[in-house]
Amino acid sequence: MEGILSGIFSATYLAAILRISTPLLLPSLAALISVKAGVINIGLEGIMLIAAFTGATVGGLLQNAFVGALAGLAAAVLTALVLAVFHLNLRGDLILGGIAINILGSAVTVALGYQLGGARAGGLSLPPISLPDLNLPFLRELPLIGETLHTAIGRQNLLTWIGLLSVFGVAFLLYRLPFGAHLRAVGENEQAAASVGIGVRRTRYAALLLSGLLAGLGGVYMSMGYLNSFSRDMTAGRGYIALVIPALGGYTPLGTLAAALLFSAFAALETRLGSFDVPSQLPQMIPYLATLIALTLYAWRRRAAA
Amino acid sequence: MRYKWLIGALGVALALMAALPLSVHVLARGIRGVESFAQAAESASFGVVWAINALVLLAFGLFIAQTGRETWRVLGTVALALLIGGLILLILSPQRAADAYVALLSGPLSRLNRWATWIDDAISLTLVALAIALVFKAKLFSLGAEGQIFLGALASGLVALFVEGLPTALHLSLAVGAGALVGLLWGLIPALLRAYLGANELVATLMLNPIAALIYGFVLERIRLPQSGIIASAFFPETALLPRLIPATRVTSAVLWALIAALAVWWLMTRTPFGYALRAMGANADFARYGGIRLERVIVGAMALSGLLSGLAGSYLALGIYQRLPLAVSSGLTFEAIVAALLARNNPLAVPAMALLYSYLRVGAPIMQNDAAVSLEIVRIIQALIILLFTAEGLLSLWERRRAVAAWKAS
Repeated sequence: MEGILSGIFSATYLAAILRISTPLLLPSLAALISVKAGVINIGLEGIMLIAAFTGATVGGLLQNAFVGALAGLAAAVLTALVLAVFHLNLRGDLILGGIAINILGSAVTVALGYQLGGARAGGLSLPPISLPDLNLPFLRELPLIGETLHTAIGRQNLLTWIGLLSVFGVAFLLYRLPFGAHLRAVGENEQAAASVGIGVRRTRYAALLLSGLLAGLGGVYMSMGYLNSFSRDMTAGRGYIALVIPALGGYTPLGTLAAALLFSAFAALETRLGSFDVPSQLPQMIPYLATLIALTLYAWRRRAAA
Repeated sequence: MRYKWLIGALGVALALMAALPLSVHVLARGIRGVESFAQAAESASFGVVWAINALVLLAFGLFIAQTGRETWRVLGTVALALLIGGLILLILSPQRAADAYVALLSGPLSRLNRWATWIDDAISLTLVALAIALVFKAKLFSLGAEGQIFLGALASGLVALFVEGLPTALHLSLAVGAGALVGLLWGLIPALLRAYLGANELVATLMLNPIAALIYGFVLERIRLPQSGIIASAFFPETALLPRLIPATRVTSAVLWALIAALAVWWLMTRTPFGYALRAMGANADFARYGGIRLERVIVGAMALSGLLSGLAGSYLALGIYQRLPLAVSSGLTFEAIVAALLARNNPLAVPAMALLYSYLRVGAPIMQNDAAVSLEIVRIIQALIILLFTAEGLLSLWERRRAVAAWKAS
C-alpha cells in the first residue's frame, strides 16, 4: 500500500498533472471567457481538433514548429469567426452552431488527412514535430527541494507555461482592463450594457475570437506537445469537459485553474493505477463523476443562495 | 378538412403505386423492362419490400403535408449543403468527385442489402430523433441519448442472455421493456438535476454519456466470450431476437416501432395537456410558468420519455441488428439525430422522413468511400453545413430582404 501511495504521490506525478492539465486548462479558459460574455462556445472540441490538425500538418510539412503552431492558431481563430458570424450576424442558435462546429472539426480533419495521406492510408505520415520543452536546469541548484522541483516543473512544454500564464492574463483582462468590464457587463445584462454605450456585438465577437485562440493553443498542444502527431478525434472530449471546469471553479480564472488541476490529478491517477489490479473503467469514470458531482453541488449552492 | 379520409386513401394508393417500381428496382437491381418485374415478383420478400417502400413514401408525403411551404426551404438547405460538399470534394479530388456523388446518391438503392441497411439505419435514427425532438421542443438541450442507447442495449442484452426458459413473446417483450426502462431511468438523472436544482442539462448529459459507455464496457468485459478475438458477448438465444422480415438482411419488425413511436409522440405533443405544457415551455418558459404550468414536471416528463425512446433504440440495435452486445453500440447517433429533428422542426410526424433522408446519406457514404475512394467524412461535413445553413435565421431574412428590394424596384 505504501508502495502504491509513494508511487502515486511523487514529483513525476506532479509533472504528469501539469502535462495533462494543459489541454484542459486552455480550453477551460476559452469557455470561461465565452461564458462571461454570455456566448457559451460549445464548439471548443471542433476548434481544438482543427488547430491540432493544422499545427501538426503545417509544422510537419515545413519542419518548423513555430510556423505550424501559428497556422494552427490562425485556423482556430478562423473557425471561431465562423461561429461568431453565424450567431452574431446570421442569428443562428449558438448551441446548435457549436454542435455543428464540433462535427465539422472532427470531419474536416479526418477527411483532409485521408485525402492528403493517399486514399487508403487513412492518415498522413509526416515527420513528427513538437514545440520545445522549457528546460530549467538552474532549479537543481536550489537546496532541499531542488531535485524534486526540477522533476516536477523543470522540463514542461512551452505551452504548459503559456497555459499557466494565460490564467493570469485572462484574470488581468477580465478584472483590470476596461474591455474586461465591458465583456462581463455584456454577459450579465445585454440591454443594460447596450444602454451605456457598450458595443454588445463587437464585444461578443472579441470574446468568441479570444476563446477560439485559447482553445487553439490547447489544440496545438495536443498534437505538438502532449503527442507529436495528429490522430483522429485526438482531443477525446476535452472540449466538452472544458465547458464544465469553469463551473467547477466558480467562474473565476484562478478557480478554473484549481478545477483543471484537480481534474487532471484524477486523470493522472488513472494512468498510474493502470499498473495495479483495478478495472480500468473505474478510474476512467472518476473525472466525469467528479464533474457531475461538482455541477450538482454548484447548482445546489446557487439555489441555496438564491 | 372535409375530404380528409379521401385524401388519406388517395395518398396510400399513390404511395403503393410509386413503391412498386422502387421495390422492383431494389430487388432486381434496376428496371429493365418486364423481365425485372417478373424477377422481382418471384422473390419471396417482394410483399414486405413493397410494403416498407410504401411506408417510406407515405413518410415523405406526411412530411410535405406537415411542413407545407417550408418543404422548399428544407430541400433547398439540403441541396445547398450537398452542393457545397460537392465543391469541397471537387477541390479535394477532382477526378473522382463525379463518381463519388453518383455512388453517394444512388448507392443505397442499388442492392437489396444496401436498401435494407438504409431502412435499418432509419429506424434507429427515427427513434433517437423523436427522443431529441421531445426535449428540443421544450428548449431543453439534452444530449444524453448516446448513454441511454448504450445502457438500453446493455439491459436488453443482459435479459436476453441470462433470463432463461421463457417463451419467445415473453422473453422478447421483457428484454425490450428492460432496455426502455433503463433508458428512462438514466434519462431521469439529468432531468431531476435540471428540474429541481437547475443544473445545466447539456453538461450533465455530456458527462453521463461517457459514464454510461464505461459501465457498458465494464460489464461487457466480464461477459465477453473469452476465446474469441473480438470483444463481444455471445449471440442471444432465438427467443429474444426481433423477428427478421427479409431473408439475408437485418430488416426486422421494428419498422413498426418507428411508425408507432412517431404517432405516439405526435399524439402526446399535440393532443394531451402534457404536450401543451411542453410546447408552452418551449415557446416561452417564463410565460408558461406564469400561466401556472409546473415546469419541473414538464422537464422530468420530457427528459424521461426521451430516455425511454433512446433506450428503445438501444434495445433495437442489440436485439434486431447485432443480435449480441458489440464493443460499441452507437457512434455519434445523437448528433445525426439532431440534424433529423432539426430539419423536421421537432415535428414528430415529419421526423421519419427526415431520418430516412439523412440515413440515405449515411448509408451512401461508405459506398462512396468504397467505390470512389473519397473519405466518407464528406457526409459529416454536409451534416454540419445543414445545421449551420438551416438554423441561420439571418440568412433567410437576408434573402427575403433582397427579394423584397427586387420586388419594390420592379413595381
